[in-house]
Amino acid sequence: MKEAGHVLDVLKKVKRLIQEDNSHEIKILSNQTIHQATLSQDPDNIIVAVLVYSIGKILERKHYRNMEGWDIFYNSLLKNLDAGTVCLANDDLSKCRISFGKIRASLNKIDGNLGTYIKDVFRKAEINKAFKIYEHGISSEKTAELLGVSLWDLSSYIGQSSISEAHISMSMPVKKRLKIAEDIFQ
Amino acid sequence: MKYVIFDTGPLISLTMNGLLPVLEKLKENFNGEFIITPSVKQEVIDRPMKIKKYKFEAIKIKNLVDRKILKYSSDFISNNVLEKETKKIMKLGNGVLRSQKNGEKISIIHEGEASCIAFARLCKCENVIIIDERSTRLLAESPQNLKKLIERKVHTKISMENSLASEFKEFKFIRSPELMFVAYKKNLIPLKKDKQTLDAILYSLKFKGAAISSKEIEEMKQLA
Repeated sequence: MKEAGHVLDVLKKVKRLIQEDNSHEIKILSNQTIHQATLSQDPDNIIVAVLVYSIGKILERKHYRNMEGWDIFYNSLLKNLDAGTVCLANDDLSKCRISFGKIRASLNKIDGNLGTYIKDVFRKAEINKAFKIYEHGISSEKTAELLGVSLWDLSSYIGQSSISEAHISMSMPVKKRLKIAEDIFQ
Repeated sequence: MKYVIFDTGPLISLTMNGLLPVLEKLKENFNGEFIITPSVKQEVIDRPMKIKKYKFEAIKIKNLVDRKILKYSSDFISNNVLEKETKKIMKLGNGVLRSQKNGEKISIIHEGEASCIAFARLCKCENVIIIDERSTRLLAESPQNLKKLIERKVHTKISMENSLASEFKEFKFIRSPELMFVAYKKNLIPLKKDKQTLDAILYSLKFKGAAISSKEIEEMKQLA
């Protein structure tokens, strides 16, 4: 994993913020991880970015805590976050990945709606992080590949991005580009 | 021979907006070929064909291929040759920017976009690449802006290899909105020809992924 020290620091902060029930700060932390993930494009960094953002979203939805299976998920989250952090500190990346995988796998043990809802949070977090990486200047196809999401899903998100409105995104006068289009179809 | 080379994004936004019949009419009025590369085919036909949500869209695009409205790049350049050139383009494009923090290259472009550029480079004919996403266009047309954009977002200094960036200057890019602008001007859109229609089409393409600003759309409407 690239920048493992930074990721380790993030994971420790996340654990503390979960205990403090501070979903807002967790989401801010997820933005920091995405800056890192954009530069490194390391799949493990991206997994952590998605995980951190998802945790923020899940904790924000307080009604989840009253649903059947919450304890199973929450205990698995804390346990595997701890385990993953220890493995990363010991440079054991494969075990670290297994621990993070177990957080999502725990959802399969939950009956009822909570599992489906949280799976949906993770899926949307992947698209959200892909969108964020795109906003950071990486091509849409590259980001779709990095996050394993469909470009078809990503397209509508990209369409909502205000980044296209930025002057910096305009690389050619409108007239000039239209002329290219009209010339080829003459 | 002239070629219009399609990246994935424009085909997605045209399909999702029900504009493939307009593309077909444009082809009837075009003295050349509409091309898709194997990587683009993978994203617009093969993958969505396995996703229930998008299978119908994939079938619609495949129908255009079956009817030779869209042609595979392999009809003109062998996949092996294209693949080699695509790798070269990816190496060049993904070597332009580096993080000054750790010296690592920032990988910007993907095989799909690179294969379109590779075809444009190999075809030795008049061509235009249709690409809706912003990063590849910026890399070719204004790498300095791309550098600034990434620097702002990741809060890290980025260095740029100008000699590599200059390799992309020769390519011509348009987006799906310019394509539909041409169709509008040529009366190929089966709707009342007025600014409202054009406005609606351009914004719907924007909201389905075409990187175009509202300011650009307004300017296009003035020029119509």
